[in-house]
Parts: sequence; C-alpha cells; structure tokens
Amino acid sequence: MKKYYLLIRSLHLYFGLFISPFVLIFGISVLIFNHPDLINRVSPVKNIPDIKTKLDKIPYDTTDLRTAKAIIAKLSITGEIDFISRNDSSISFPVKKPGLRTQIKVNTNTGSVLITRKNEEVLRSTTFLHSMPGPHNVKVRGNSGFMKVWRILADVVVYFLLFLTVSGIFLWYILKAERVLGLYALVLGLLFFIGSLLLIF
Amino acid sequence: MEKLRSKKLFKNLNYWSRKLHIHLGLFLLLFIWLFSFSGLILNHSKWNISNFYEKRKEGKIVSSIRIPVSRDSVTVLKSVLSQLKIAGEITDVKIWNDSLHFRVSAPGHVRNLQVNFKTGICTQNELKYNWSGKIQTLHTFNGVDKANADLQPNWLITQIWRLSMDGIAIGFIILCVSSWVMWYNIREKYTWGWVVLLSGFGIASYFIFLLGIL
Repeated sequence: MKKYYLLIRSLHLYFGLFISPFVLIFGISVLIFNHPDLINRVSPVKNIPDIKTKLDKIPYDTTDLRTAKAIIAKLSITGEIDFISRNDSSISFPVKKPGLRTQIKVNTNTGSVLITRKNEEVLRSTTFLHSMPGPHNVKVRGNSGFMKVWRILADVVVYFLLFLTVSGIFLWYILKAERVLGLYALVLGLLFFIGSLLLIF
Repeated sequence: MEKLRSKKLFKNLNYWSRKLHIHLGLFLLLFIWLFSFSGLILNHSKWNISNFYEKRKEGKIVSSIRIPVSRDSVTVLKSVLSQLKIAGEITDVKIWNDSLHFRVSAPGHVRNLQVNFKTGICTQNELKYNWSGKIQTLHTFNGVDKANADLQPNWLITQIWRLSMDGIAIGFIILCVSSWVMWYNIREKYTWGWVVLLSGFGIASYFIFLLGIL
C-alpha cells in the first residue's frame, strides 16, 4: 500500500489545490443562499437605467431560443438565456451572467425593445454559479459558451472532490499517529449525519 | 529573532491546519458525499436517477377538523397542524373569509392543504418523492422564500438543517484554507502547486469577476 502513498499524496495535493477556489465558491454561496436578508443589507442589488431601442429583421418564425439568440446578438448582449415567455405580441426572457441579470422584452409587432438590468454584485455571482446548470429549464440551459464550460467544470469539481475524499481516507489510514483521533472524528460525523437524517425524515 | 518568531508561528499554523484538515475532512465525509451526489443528480436531470418528480406518489386525504373561532392565520394554522399531526415548513399561506390554503413541506414530502371554514373539511393533496427526490430536496432545503428574503424558516427542523448547512459550508472553506497552508509549507517539494493553484484561482476569478463585466 505504501508504494502508492507518494503518488496518491501528490494527486490529492494537486487536485485539491486546483479545485479549492471552486469549493470556496460553493461554500460561500451556501451562506448567501441561506441568508439572503443579510446579503441584501450588505450588498443590495443595484438597478441599472433601462434602455429602450428598436430592432428589425428578427426571425420570429423559428424556435423561441433561436429568436432570443438573434435578439441578443443584435443587441450585442451576451449571457445565458433563461425561461422564454412568448405570446402573440411579445417575447420576453432574462439573460443571465454571474452578477448581472438582464431582462429583455420585445414587442414583436413594432420591434420595440425594453432592456432592464440588475447588477447583482459579486457575492450573488457565487449563488448563480452554484445553481447552474441545475434541474430546471433543461431544454434551453447551456445555450451560452460559458455555461457549457461551467457545466463541465462543476462536474470536474465534484468528481475531484469525490476522489479527494477517497484518497484522503487512504492518506489518513497510513498516518498511524492520527488514526485514533481520526476514527473519533469519523464516528462523530457518522452520528451527526445519521442524527440529522433521522430528525428530518 | 523576528524571523525565528514568524517561523515558529507558521510551524504552529501548519500543525493546526494539518490536524484540522484531516479531522474536519473525516467528520464531514458523509456530508461531502451527500452534497456531491445530490449536486451531480441536480445538474444531470437527464439521468434516469434524477427524474424523481415523474415517479412521485400522489395522494389525497380528506379529514374533518375543528375550526378555531379566531380567523388569525397563525392560530388557525397551528390548530390545523396539531389536529392533523403533521409538521413541516409552511409556505404559500392564503386566507379568505371561507377558506385557508397553505403548503407544508419537508424534504421529499409536500402537502398542499385547503381548509374550508364553513364545512370544517380539510383536504390534503400530498406528493411523496423517492429517495433521489428526498436527497435532491435536502440539497436545497433552507426555508428561504426568494420573493421575501426577510422571512425566516418557521419549522425547527429547517432551522437546524440550515444551520448544519452553514456549518458544513464553513467547514469546506476551512478545508480549502488549511490545504493552502499545508501546501505552502512543502511548496519547494511540490513546485507545480503554484501553477495549479493559480490556474484554479484564475478560472474561478474569470467566472466570478470578469464574466459579468465582459
């Protein structure tokens, strides 16, 4: 077993260092998810003045996503298009980026556009990334380049994290001096985990 | 002298970082697995395992209850819940002259209740999720109402779970910081650590700070 020790130690160290900033994002975002009242006081969302403009030659006879993509391309706006709502006279949808939320509403009869934007600040960027791609709006999600990359990165972080837990157990087991105290920590965690689940379910 | 003191201080910091990293990591092990696994299935809704909502079990329970004289929503809610012997996070409360509507949620179990004040009939429409649904809802179960951020969770279990999630998140942050301290102590042996750590920070910073302004 000891012959693998150095290799596993190196992998544990390098994988851990690489994902640590992402784990930090996930950790901080949990605190922000759980305490929005506090965050609203510390770092309130700022409204950016609305923009009104006009568009022409938008392809309305295609899918909603293609229409939305054509609209944001003409408006030179980038980001992840989310829930699209469309009726006989208008199409509206949010375009999201970490820290910036843009809502676009287009009157499909006249071509007039209303753009409203909210600067959600850096702390909320972490919650946006944490919740993406997520379980909702699956057909549309991943329509921007950055979201395609983030989707892969989020998976990589989780798989690396799982590797870190397994390699961490191995490295701890090799360290005889930490075995007893580690066992206490493991059992305490197990009891806390089971206790929490019993309390909830 | 000053150099010696700071060297000793860092040695101490490294010692405690190592202790904390090992034992906190072991303590959080099952929580890391829970949140990693639930996070994966939340992000992969096309996986068969993720699709809990379509596999939900629906039920309807009609019960006769005693309606309190007071029409104060909190009084009525407490009375209804104690008579039905149910508990959970209460949301979406709507009260009219003749009826009360609200939702009671626990991870994996959602009840939509309607109380008719005239007939004294309470109708519960319930949804029960499988184990995959339970852990997915557990991942996000914090009792926060996005539309009204000042509202606090009203079920003790939600408050405890939210506190646990805070603790686990802080644990994750400590694991990260202690790993940097430990690596810094042996940076000469693991020289690629700079490249790896800065790459991670570079990519994360792009997503957090730059994407919004580009």
